[in-house]
Amino acid sequence: MTERVGFSFGRIVTIAANTFIESLRQKVYNILLVFALVVIASASFFSQFTFSEQLKFVKDFCLGAISVFGTLIAIVGTAQLLPAELENRTIYTILAKPVRRGEFLLGKYLGSLWLVFLSVVVMSVMFGAALYFKENRLVAETRLDRNLSAEEAATTVTRIHREARDGDLVKGVALTFVKLCLLAAITLLFSTVSTSMVFNVAMGFMAFLAGHLRGAVVEILGEGRVIRGLLTVIPDLGAFNVADDIILGNAIPWEHCAHVALYGVAYTAVVVTVAYLVFADREI
Amino acid sequence: MRRPVLVVVLLLGLAAAMMPLEDRIHAERVALKYGGTPVTLAMRDRVGQGMAIGLLAGFRGVVADFLWIGNHGYFERKEWIRMYRNMELCTTLQPQAVTFWDTGAWHMGWNIAHAVSIDPANRTQAEGLKRQREWQNKAREFLADGLANIPHRWELHHGMGMLYWLKFNDHCQARDFFRQATAFPDAPSYCLRMYARRVEDCDGPQAAYDLWKQYWREGNPIPSRDGIDLKSVMRRELRRLEERLNIPAQQRIRA
Repeated sequence: MTERVGFSFGRIVTIAANTFIESLRQKVYNILLVFALVVIASASFFSQFTFSEQLKFVKDFCLGAISVFGTLIAIVGTAQLLPAELENRTIYTILAKPVRRGEFLLGKYLGSLWLVFLSVVVMSVMFGAALYFKENRLVAETRLDRNLSAEEAATTVTRIHREARDGDLVKGVALTFVKLCLLAAITLLFSTVSTSMVFNVAMGFMAFLAGHLRGAVVEILGEGRVIRGLLTVIPDLGAFNVADDIILGNAIPWEHCAHVALYGVAYTAVVVTVAYLVFADREI
Repeated sequence: MRRPVLVVVLLLGLAAAMMPLEDRIHAERVALKYGGTPVTLAMRDRVGQGMAIGLLAGFRGVVADFLWIGNHGYFERKEWIRMYRNMELCTTLQPQAVTFWDTGAWHMGWNIAHAVSIDPANRTQAEGLKRQREWQNKAREFLADGLANIPHRWELHHGMGMLYWLKFNDHCQARDFFRQATAFPDAPSYCLRMYARRVEDCDGPQAAYDLWKQYWREGNPIPSRDGIDLKSVMRRELRRLEERLNIPAQQRIRA
């Protein structure tokens, strides 16, 4: 008779920690992160424009870089989790122990999310530094500008501070992270049916594109309930793009952020559950 | 056998549960005027293939910025029509971008208008002036479109005021736009002075004096919006107008 073991959060955390450390050692991850940091740092070198334009460029490029490199890290980092375990045959050793498949899968997913979270935090810190650097430079240039009166200079400095120190940018980064969690979950789902990492990465990017194109498809095919119902299988990733509007100074109510976050979390939960159901039946 | 059924049920449940939430998010985005014009085939032709992919991948801001940076090249090569089309495209992509409307109108009303007025290709001076006026009109139309999209920011009201004041010499229209700009709580304090100065030009010094007196009495001291000592500005303006209007010493404001 097979002994059933209970669901253990401790085992999930152990697997997650192990996955996280393994991923951190990957050269691909480190190269991607270094690239991301270089791109973000270089965003502050735009000049020859008005201060509003310069600050807009820095914010757009940095948040765009966080989204691009975060997507790369989430998809590539998650796509190799199961294929690597199968190729190295370490999955047999782990599942031979009293570890449930659900715990294994969830642990792997959480480990990947920690990696994505760490990357987003590191990139956001760099973004903050780039913005701070740009703000200080613009303020210094304004104070040195002899064409401006004291009043004009003071007003411009106030405007630079106000545009640079926008607390709503945190909302944009947070929703980007939720989107990355969802993309990682979708990639995990593909990796439960395929043993090829390349296939998983390709499908992850397909999902990314399909998710962004969904809005355009609805525009073309119309708002019919049947079309909408069919398309619901693909998440609308465009809904997470509030960063553009934050940068433009539009009001971003917490309520809207909460709805978008709820949408992402609900999707992620269902996708991870489906991944578990597929993985539980899979022959290894 | 039960698991595939469960997967299908889960996906159908997801579809049923997500539609109201999606509708709500979509309605909120429309109400808050998020995003911009949808990416169509015509737009793909205008922005180019690479930029269209960027747009479709959700990087609208970055694409608009890249296009905007291209203006610099058009400006240096004096390709005014291309520059104008490019600015139009950027504002189509991001109609909520104040800086695109404001800077675009400034390029048209000031830089391009001046450049075409002294263009050696002009056969007569009148032709230069005519071309100058055309670009100033374009700037006005451009700003009006911007105001239709972003009526809730002071910058474009101020930009329109500047255009009417300095380029059309229409102090009364300028006064109205500066007044609208002043009404915004985050407008810089110089908007107030510009408004009062246009009142002086349009309605006469007595009207401007009355306005400053009203500000002095009602808003003494008006909370400083940007670190500027408004009280000293008001005092200075009151003194200047009292001198100009020859107001007797006993009737002057004790500022």
